[in-house]
Amino acid sequence: MDVTMPLVEARGVSKGFFGNPVLKAVDIALYPGRVHALLGENGAGKSTLINLLSGALRPDGGTILMDGRPVTKLTPQGARAAGVAVVQQELSLAAELSIAENIGLGATPRRFGLIDYRALRDRAAAVSALVGLTEPLDMPVGDLPLGRRQMVEIAKALFRRPRVLILDEPTSSLSAHEAGVLSGLVRTLAAGGVAVLYISHRLNEVQALCDHVTVLKDGMVTADRSLADVSAEGLVRLMVGRDPGDAFPAFAPATAGEELIRVDGFSAGAVRDVTFSARAGEIIGIGGLIGQGQEDFLLGLYGAIPATASKAEICGVGHLLASVAAATAAGLAYVPADRKKEGLVLTHAISANLLLPSLGRLMRRGLRDRTGEASLVADLARQFSIRGDTDRFVQALSGGNQQKVALAKWLPLAPRVLLLNDPTRGVDVGTKREIYLMLRAFADAGKLIVLLSSDTPELVHLCDRVVVFRQGRVVATLAHDKASEEAIVGAAMGLGIEGVAA
Amino acid sequence: MNLSPSSPRWLYLAIQRRRNRGLNGLYLVVAAFLIVYAILFPGLLSIGGFSKFSQNWFPLALVTMAQALLMLNGGISLAIGPLVSLGAVVAAISMGGPAGAFGGFVAVVVAGLVIGALTGLIVAYMRLPAIIVTLAGSFIITGVALLLLPRPGGYIPDWLSQALAGHQPTAFALLVVILIAWKLFLATPTGIGLYAVGDNPVGAFRSGVPVERIRVVSFAISGLLTALAGLFVAAQTGSGDPVIGTSFTLNSMAGAVLGGVGFLGGKGTMRGAIAGSLLLSVMINVMFFLGFPPVAQYVAQGVIIVGAVAIPVFASRWRKA
Repeated sequence: MDVTMPLVEARGVSKGFFGNPVLKAVDIALYPGRVHALLGENGAGKSTLINLLSGALRPDGGTILMDGRPVTKLTPQGARAAGVAVVQQELSLAAELSIAENIGLGATPRRFGLIDYRALRDRAAAVSALVGLTEPLDMPVGDLPLGRRQMVEIAKALFRRPRVLILDEPTSSLSAHEAGVLSGLVRTLAAGGVAVLYISHRLNEVQALCDHVTVLKDGMVTADRSLADVSAEGLVRLMVGRDPGDAFPAFAPATAGEELIRVDGFSAGAVRDVTFSARAGEIIGIGGLIGQGQEDFLLGLYGAIPATASKAEICGVGHLLASVAAATAAGLAYVPADRKKEGLVLTHAISANLLLPSLGRLMRRGLRDRTGEASLVADLARQFSIRGDTDRFVQALSGGNQQKVALAKWLPLAPRVLLLNDPTRGVDVGTKREIYLMLRAFADAGKLIVLLSSDTPELVHLCDRVVVFRQGRVVATLAHDKASEEAIVGAAMGLGIEGVAA
Repeated sequence: MNLSPSSPRWLYLAIQRRRNRGLNGLYLVVAAFLIVYAILFPGLLSIGGFSKFSQNWFPLALVTMAQALLMLNGGISLAIGPLVSLGAVVAAISMGGPAGAFGGFVAVVVAGLVIGALTGLIVAYMRLPAIIVTLAGSFIITGVALLLLPRPGGYIPDWLSQALAGHQPTAFALLVVILIAWKLFLATPTGIGLYAVGDNPVGAFRSGVPVERIRVVSFAISGLLTALAGLFVAAQTGSGDPVIGTSFTLNSMAGAVLGGVGFLGGKGTMRGAIAGSLLLSVMINVMFFLGFPPVAQYVAQGVIIVGAVAIPVFASRWRKA
């Protein structure tokens, strides 16, 4: 392997978005015939690195080399021409087109300006056979279940005869059988000299399949080594090992109050059969990999999506809350993750946003009570340290301050339960700390806080208990003293780690 | 060649056959309306009657294709009607000129292609919403048509009117030719790119499909079909009229929607759109024969369109539940 040259290499590449560094001086080299694993937590920079290697983004610093030659302006076309094929998590298929047309899309063989359907059929049939697609090639992709579409996506990448194949969580929607076929395929390709970069959250899969691993943590490489002598626990440690920092307020165990939420056999959206209870004064963390049903859990409790439960008691109501109005009336508030789309009216003033949920209560004789409104806005702004003129558009605020507005607007309704969906995503460190302090204060004041977070340290340092979701089910409930980053990430990835009570 | 059972011998034909799925209900409704129409008006089954009927349908079929083409790749046009008028006006003022009927034909083709391509360039490269650009375009085009020919007039050679709108089913034959051309177009990389761009523009871009170019091409073809519809209308009436096309904007959308073409791009088929335009055309004729007052016709048309769109949605919801 020493004599061969990497087909694609990144040397010291860095990339930032809006002043936030996402990758810092990252090195990675993909060799022919080697299956290379790329590991890292949510937000560690994996997707950004793939986008750099495939030309979808340009690095801010550092160089990308193809076949040992530095490429200054790598475009998607350039990367394709160099033989790099990427299977992204979001599929690139068109539902109305047939399997064959999708496989060939953008690279169809043609004759006299028309698609050469005979050649397309033969080559598409060949790659379909490789990935184990047995559906008729003329079938529209829209008729396939998600797992099969993923196989079409992989077949599509193979159709271009890649020298470098990047697979971004290819097995997340595959059945065990399909995943097995894929592993066999990856080995065959590697044996044929293809360089494979394999991103997965399934550590057993990575260990069985890959030769080499690069671990990213907060945009930096923490390991670049052979996989031969690393255990799964060792990999998890490499992914999370970081200084806890002093960003968090001191933890104080909750004085358990009245039980506010109790659900048995709760199902909603992707959530299956979850039993959950929480008391006033607690901060309950909801963790797991992205999209394992955590959001549906909150939305289901909030009455925003249809939910069922064998038994439920929420804020004294003896059944599930059927609508958002009912949930708000019962004392629940939900702060969505996508504050720009769901949480705020960006083109309205800060004051208008803060008033929105309380407009109905602040009425006098059917008219708006301007004095009451003004004092409420002033109160909230002081309490949440939202500085400056509240007549500015929310748009003008930084992400962190926008989040404060999205949170603050619910407070006048005096909710007893706050359902927070990733409140610190995209928020700077300073504001994060302010938000943490507020959450702590709310809990101390007897509110129940359910904190869904993609930021594991938050779960570790703030929460009385952490509930970890995987594939729609609760796989672990960790008390504060047991909730280490290793335990949370391990449980999220399906590892049974010591001290985990499921 | 050893083919697995999953790879059909004639892939293109197999794909095309699959595209009928979900359309059988529509075909049945169209057939039912045609039968009712034939009973009310047995003349439909004669050459002359069929010719007249297909001539009434033909321009609507063309503009519905033009609209469906745009909707399939995620666009829409509010300028269909004005462009029909402009096509009629250009034909009527140029056919009497030195270049004659053929010169007039070329002028209409060029006008349609250029206006379509310009719209497409603005939408694709300046990334402005198609609905706004074509709304503006509809005013501009109407203005131009009125400038060129302030009141109905101009000249269309009598032989052309006879050939296109006489007692032979020329219009129907032309429609068949256009449909064959569409089939050929669908078998090109641009043709399948059209669907991919409409359904999943990011995915299409990552697959190496020239997204912007395909948008421009689809607007250009759409403009061409629309302007040709204008030429046909001019031949039908024997003159140019700067506002004759107005009703086509909404009718083209109605036809496409009846045919199951989605507003969000990538969903639907051209054969559905054609069937939709046929349904609309027969529906209007049947209501006329049944003696509906014109106002009631409009109301009935609207109710039928909402029903046609709502029924499949509810049907799929029931199936799921």
